[in-house]
Amino acid sequence: MKLSNIRTIIASVIFVALAIGLITGVGMGTLSGFGWDTISALCPLGAFEIMLAKLTFIPRGIISIVVMGVLVLIFGRVFCAYICPVDVLTRARNGLSSAKKRLQRREKREAEMTEIANFEISKCTGGCATCSSNCKPQKHPKLDSRHFVLGGALLSSLIFGFPVFCLVCPIGLSFATVLLFWRLFAFGDTTISCILVPVMLIIEVVFLRKWCGRFCPMSALMNLVSRFTKTFRPTIDNEKCLETTTGKACSRCAIVCPSDINLRHPEYGEHTLADCSRCRTCVDNCPTHAISMPIFPKKGKDDKFEVKVKKEAQEG
Amino acid sequence: MPPDNTEAEQSSEPPSDGSSPAGEAETTKKEPMSVTRRGAIIGVSSCVVLLGLGALRYAGHTPIIHPPGGQDETNLVTRCIRCEKCYESCPRDVIAPAHIEYGLLGMRAPTMNYDADYCDYCQEENGGDPRCAAVCPTGALTLPQDATAQNVIIGKASIDTHQCLAYRMTACRQCYDNCPYDAIYLENEDSRNPLPVVDLDKCNGCGACEAVCLSLTTGSIVAGSTERAIKVHVTDTVESGVY
Repeated sequence: MKLSNIRTIIASVIFVALAIGLITGVGMGTLSGFGWDTISALCPLGAFEIMLAKLTFIPRGIISIVVMGVLVLIFGRVFCAYICPVDVLTRARNGLSSAKKRLQRREKREAEMTEIANFEISKCTGGCATCSSNCKPQKHPKLDSRHFVLGGALLSSLIFGFPVFCLVCPIGLSFATVLLFWRLFAFGDTTISCILVPVMLIIEVVFLRKWCGRFCPMSALMNLVSRFTKTFRPTIDNEKCLETTTGKACSRCAIVCPSDINLRHPEYGEHTLADCSRCRTCVDNCPTHAISMPIFPKKGKDDKFEVKVKKEAQEG
Repeated sequence: MPPDNTEAEQSSEPPSDGSSPAGEAETTKKEPMSVTRRGAIIGVSSCVVLLGLGALRYAGHTPIIHPPGGQDETNLVTRCIRCEKCYESCPRDVIAPAHIEYGLLGMRAPTMNYDADYCDYCQEENGGDPRCAAVCPTGALTLPQDATAQNVIIGKASIDTHQCLAYRMTACRQCYDNCPYDAIYLENEDSRNPLPVVDLDKCNGCGACEAVCLSLTTGSIVAGSTERAIKVHVTDTVESGVY
């Protein structure tokens, strides 16, 4: 089975296990405070919020932030692809939209990416008079909308003195939904929260499209660290890549990337490689198996996009 | 004022965005792309929403009881990140997420639900060291060094004499019989219908009385009642008589 599917299973299993633990009282906590008994990590965003709200240092919070920071520095935003329940919900949501809509969306994306690829290839092979050239590289500001959400969350916590984002955090809301429904059916604990909590979650996942890449302050926090991550980054072997070896547009990696990264032409993706969640979808989908995730980037290798069409291929 | 802060933050950021990772001169010269414009819209509106959520602090809420260690409500609200560890760790399942009906601010923060059981301060299960306060990772539930079941006051029980069976001359004395701290005494004890009364000096809000109260559990009680005849409320409201 492809790892890109396994990751959804892993995230679902983690969520279900923690949710069952929450109901039965196993004591593993939720993702907001994960750990056994009195030893538990703290959600780094929650830790920042309460430290700002209380204007004090919380040792457990600092330790959690440092530990998670180190993990992100090594593995990037791996949490987003393999652990976070919101990614599962987003995938489920996409799966629920009609087949026609999905096809349309895919075709649009394919057309867009192919156009970019053709444009870039023509720049290399020299001359592209006919190219309509509405392919413009995306601007990648150092801070994007997610960082504003993060800033707003921290500022609001500082001003009003309580962890504001925790009220609407979709990770927390997912677990809260399970707990509230369990209490509703097992103990008859009726409250409007049983409706409001899932509704907030649905608004975030369904109506605020691309929550993870555009809104999520956790993702913003991780991005601040993962931009320095060089390990396990997907790398294209230009000796194998269809675009560099044959000069034909492919960009499968860009089409399939759930994080909206264009691996082949990074300057066109909505996000840069800093936001790679190591989901391996590009690795699985590359028709020539040109993509790998080496532990360390290969030094001295020229990864500049350059079409070096082999003689035979050109003639053929 | 809050929205102004957002604007200021927003407008101060873009200049630092100058260098794109692509690092190409032509990229920076171009007009602002739709991505950054959309980013600004999302960013500003989210900040406004989050600041609005923060303002809920002043929206007012009904005071509710909290698990041991959460009696300083300001501390609880400031620190609780709704990680739900306390609900999970409670061996008697008496901790429940607070209903939104009691206020948006405290929504999903831990409160006590004595429908089925009461808080024995983990005497039986953990030798008198409450699990909820022990596992709380943020310090939202913090107990003082010398904390005991007697000096940590979760709340105070109060009897609704309109609902109470004993006050309807049925001689019910469930709460009196089950109070672990002798905090309920009987008025006219020798009469045919002794009436239970809460001794506010001894009551610590453990909820044993509420858990055993027959009203609402037997289905025979006055229409319109929504809670048991004896119920633990926040100390201040019981002492001032407003609940």
